Amino acid sequence: MYARLGAGLLVAALALTACSGNDSPASSPATGGNEKVELTFVNWDGGMDKVVDEWNQLNPNIQVQLSKPSGTGYTLYNKLITNNKAGTNPDITQVEYQALPALIANQVVVPLDDYVKGLDAKYDKASLAQVQFEGKTYGVPQNVCPMVFFYRKDVFDKLGLKPPATWDEYATTAAALKKADPKKFIGNFTAADPGWFAGLAQQAGANWWKADGDTWSVSINDAASKKVADFWDGLITKGLVSPQPNWSAQWNTEMNNGTIVGWVGAQWGPNQLPSIAKDTAGKWAAAPLPAWTAGDATVGIWGGETEAVTANSKHPAEAAKFVEWLNSSEAGMTSLIKHVQAFPASPAGQQLPALKTPPPFMSNQPDYNTLMATAAKSVRTFDIWGPNANVTFDSYSNAFAAALQKKTPLAGALDTMQEATVADMKKLGFQVAG
Amino acid sequence: MSSRADEPAAGSHPAAARSAPHGVRGARNGRHGGLLPAALVSPAIILLLLFTVAPAIYAVFLSFRRLQVGRGLLGGGKPTEVWTGFSNYTAALTDGEFWASLGRMLLIGAFGVPMTVVLATVFALCLDAKRARLTGFARLAIFLPYAVPGVVASLLWGFLYLPATSPIGGGTFDYFGSRGIFFSVANVAVWGVVGFNMVILYTTVRSLPRELFEAAELDGASEFQIAVRVKLPLMAPAVAMVALFSVIGALQLFNEPTTLKPLANAISSTWVPLMRAYTDAFVDNSIYEGAATSFLLIVMTVAATVVVSAIGRRIGRAR
Repeated sequence: MYARLGAGLLVAALALTACSGNDSPASSPATGGNEKVELTFVNWDGGMDKVVDEWNQLNPNIQVQLSKPSGTGYTLYNKLITNNKAGTNPDITQVEYQALPALIANQVVVPLDDYVKGLDAKYDKASLAQVQFEGKTYGVPQNVCPMVFFYRKDVFDKLGLKPPATWDEYATTAAALKKADPKKFIGNFTAADPGWFAGLAQQAGANWWKADGDTWSVSINDAASKKVADFWDGLITKGLVSPQPNWSAQWNTEMNNGTIVGWVGAQWGPNQLPSIAKDTAGKWAAAPLPAWTAGDATVGIWGGETEAVTANSKHPAEAAKFVEWLNSSEAGMTSLIKHVQAFPASPAGQQLPALKTPPPFMSNQPDYNTLMATAAKSVRTFDIWGPNANVTFDSYSNAFAAALQKKTPLAGALDTMQEATVADMKKLGFQVAG
Repeated sequence: MSSRADEPAAGSHPAAARSAPHGVRGARNGRHGGLLPAALVSPAIILLLLFTVAPAIYAVFLSFRRLQVGRGLLGGGKPTEVWTGFSNYTAALTDGEFWASLGRMLLIGAFGVPMTVVLATVFALCLDAKRARLTGFARLAIFLPYAVPGVVASLLWGFLYLPATSPIGGGTFDYFGSRGIFFSVANVAVWGVVGFNMVILYTTVRSLPRELFEAAELDGASEFQIAVRVKLPLMAPAVAMVALFSVIGALQLFNEPTTLKPLANAISSTWVPLMRAYTDAFVDNSIYEGAATSFLLIVMTVAATVVVSAIGRRIGRAR
């Protein structure tokens, strides 16, 4: 669920054939009657072990063994794609929404329609659109991660600043902050997080991928996305936001010592903040994401995940049962809220009493989850994520980092992303319009 | 840059052993015995075939293939592998970014390789100088960075470079600037391998006959003159070897930039050729282009090795 793409260290040596299959398939006998089934589950969320423990206690005959992947995000997905051919994938895997189409196209995951029924009644259309493709359902949505604005309430209060309601206000607040303390930044533009920019583009009205029948149209460099890029370009040029990427030692230090006093983040922020800025617990507050026009509540998402069952699984029925429990049952969702600080995608889940308690890092904001519930109602996403979002995302990091480094217009980076994405789709044999 | 030399078990040829005439039994070269030599070299040969030659052949095979998805929006039906001729190679060779990554690697090599060789030679000669004190400690101190894993070293240097955490002036000098980054990466690599190369050169200089230096000293040569005029020429073959290792190490540059990448905007995922091969294969999920890039890099490594060792031999012969 955490879009910390590429934050994990890539220490794997280049050995094209050394696709180590450390996740051996469950070696349990064929199911039948009350036979005990062992499932393997790969997931990198902190606290997931406690959730799995609860399942294992409730289900002695379907035991789930959790393992952490060697790398998060696409490091995991590409490993799944490679290992799929060898048949060594775990039974169940975590998949961020933007990566699911790629895993389906590579036949890594299987439809769950035979095992999980009635999702249409439990979820709204926007959530289901993230897991349903060509009439088949490939996962049960776990959470929704609307983008929000985190700010250091203590610093803002002291300087008499208010959290900005619009992006124009964001710019003026940034300038006012700079004037009050030239060392401080209201935030940073991160070239390390493609999902972050995608979320901002969604809010502005971008629709990077569309599907018409079997034909794709790709518009990553559309006007809405360029508007977002130009806006941040202006702030960077004026020195009002830092061009440093998220998750680096530099960013962590500056978030912790009060150099950076705002963060355009998402619902899962409080789960990560303890490791980013441990000395600032209780000093942050979350506010709605600034809007392009005052009063418009539309926001994009950053992150969000589903669990999917792999084609390698010998026990897809049991695996689907676990996935359904985890992401759509009251017990599973309550456990996820408590241990992973997830915000459920299911509208019923968003009413659970466990949400009355804010995440520990936000103890000063008791209504934290009320804010999330409000934001979740106005989420706008792309129609569909492209089948090669990995290429788009890698291109984002390279092109935006290069533009920031060379101080060239950020909007140009969007053209690079567009070209790289379309070229790769055509090469793979997808039908692309235009 | 690593200083690893993969020495293929050439030289001892089982076929040659078998065909040796029986008449030379007991001869000094001992080319007899049929099975025993073959048995002795077989583990090395088998491992080499299994883990170097076979994967290399498979990689070459893959480099002529590509993935073709089925029809339908998400390619319903299994993606199939098809032949694609040289398209993966032409894609790499006609991509400006491939040549740019080579250029960046060469730039780092152009700085890092001479730096490694010069520093290792100077350290070795200094340690061997008569006036040197605390040589045991100094030798260990210079060697120690080699024992630090490359990833750990890169992380440590990353913290030293970043303005927010830098004790070495990261606030004033931009270690992640468009030019500074080349120095920063080369510095990590040089720091890591100088010690190892120093040990090679120091061992060489210690094994030289001492009488030569005494004779030079009696003739009135200063310590500096002995080092430059006597020791250095005698060390030349070893220096050439160190240079060769350093060039190969530069071609294999991967750990340092990969570890430094998340820290700033300066390094892309295709910054040096090996990173590009990695990105092709494991980020863009095209193992086929990754194989082609890797194979191109192997060809270049072999070419560079031949050139450098030829130069090294010429230096040796000129002496």
